[in-house]
Amino acid sequence: MTKRTVLSCLFFLLLIPLTAVLGLTVFRDVKWVVWSLMAAVLSIVPFIVSFEKREHNLTLLVLIAAMVALSVGGRILFYILPGFKPITAMVILTALYFGPEAGYMTGSLAALLSNFYFGQGPWTPFQMAAWGLIGFFAGLLHARLQKNTPLCCAYGAVVGVLYSLILNFQHTVGVRGTFVWDEYVAVTVASLGFTAVYAVSNVVFLLLLKKPVGRILERVTLKYGLAPTPEKEK
Amino acid sequence: MKSLHPLLSFPYFVAVLALTMLIRNPVATLGSLLGAFCYWLMTTNGKEKRADLGFYIPLAVLITVANPVFSHNGRTPLFFLNDNAFTLESLLYGAFNAALIVSVLLWSKAYSKTVTSDKFLYLFSGILPKTALILSVALRYLPMLRKEARRLKDAQKTVGLYSKGSVTDNFLSSCKIYYALIGRTLENAVGTAESMRARGWGKAKRVPCARYRFHTPDKVLAPVLLFLFVVVAVGAGTGSLTFSFYPAPTDPLPNGFSAFAVAAFWLLSFFPALYETEVNLQWRLLQSKISASATPQRTKTR
Repeated sequence: MTKRTVLSCLFFLLLIPLTAVLGLTVFRDVKWVVWSLMAAVLSIVPFIVSFEKREHNLTLLVLIAAMVALSVGGRILFYILPGFKPITAMVILTALYFGPEAGYMTGSLAALLSNFYFGQGPWTPFQMAAWGLIGFFAGLLHARLQKNTPLCCAYGAVVGVLYSLILNFQHTVGVRGTFVWDEYVAVTVASLGFTAVYAVSNVVFLLLLKKPVGRILERVTLKYGLAPTPEKEK
Repeated sequence: MKSLHPLLSFPYFVAVLALTMLIRNPVATLGSLLGAFCYWLMTTNGKEKRADLGFYIPLAVLITVANPVFSHNGRTPLFFLNDNAFTLESLLYGAFNAALIVSVLLWSKAYSKTVTSDKFLYLFSGILPKTALILSVALRYLPMLRKEARRLKDAQKTVGLYSKGSVTDNFLSSCKIYYALIGRTLENAVGTAESMRARGWGKAKRVPCARYRFHTPDKVLAPVLLFLFVVVAVGAGTGSLTFSFYPAPTDPLPNGFSAFAVAAFWLLSFFPALYETEVNLQWRLLQSKISASATPQRTKTR
């Protein structure tokens, strides 16, 4: 075991129980705030650390950056339609061709970067985790989703709903300082319209973008050897 | 605040945001709200102020009123709604929640304004070089995408495409632009990577281009802010800031240490506004000195 592995093990062995204990003792009134925020932050850390540790092709890094910029740019370009944004579709497409790790990085960094424009806040870690995981799972399922467009659209719709549910959780805890199931249900019902828009927009953008963007990404993957398990930089 | 070292401003805002969310004591929250509000007054222009108020005020009213409608805890009923008590305590709790949310939003805004992306990258490029590389390349692409999008939009207009101005037209036009942008940006990205490799990327440790120095004010302020933070954290940790609205509001300052903790939290919250005032004053004083003397003299600055 290298020094870094030991450190990362210690990090989790100490921080997770520490969070639980702090929530139960010192911050008993706001345990949900502490738990949820720490859960979001701690779930991002291992993905980013493992990405940093592995060797990557420089072309892949710059292409991820381009996809991040395009996701955020899409959020700005389609500003007329509230909630109707191509970010999720772009994250899924990146993950399908560049693998789960790249998908996670694209999703979480797109969330972080777009909040430099739209405002950072306690919601940033939740968005980073949610979009990151959307990309990660799309990458894991790439064998099925790449060929099967209807299944891919279904995945887009489902993650649109899940994204909304995660952000509703953050909203409920953020406003009240604690988690009350009834309030969560009320918020979810009130935001059903937005949830539907997320799901529908993901499907629409996947239908529109899957073929042209998929073709570009496939070609790039082939030409520069950027298979889902990246080779070592020569 | 912008002139402070990122190693100071980033932890400062994260700490104040965390304390604001974690301490649920009305006197403390009021301090946080007022501190953030003063800094907001200093750092936003008229247009932004109006837009922000148009969002914060309805939000605050909604949160304040929503609580007593749903929650009927509390001792003092004001009136009855469908046989459910609309209590004073519940209304106060709603107002407190509204103040808390607005101060979290104001602090988030202050953070976004002060710790800009270049400072964020400066802080993290050492620890997370690859993540920072992706972010900085993406940040460079964004203005380029904007410029390209505008150029493509102009081209569409010139040819007379999508000129009806309806929502579908707008959407279709944006889609076409988006396709073009995707192709061009990905091609550009491959070129960028080749060029970076040719210039020896990854051969040595990366050096950030923005160099921030830890100046005297940073050195003086860092221990002061740390001390204030520790006082507040100890106060919160030992239960000196515990407060409960139900069934009746408790004493917001339950023990001897509470006053110190609250005072420290107020000072901590007002720090950006105070620092900004100090900088502005200094700017005025130095300006008047320059205009008073006909020949430029060397004035003693920090």
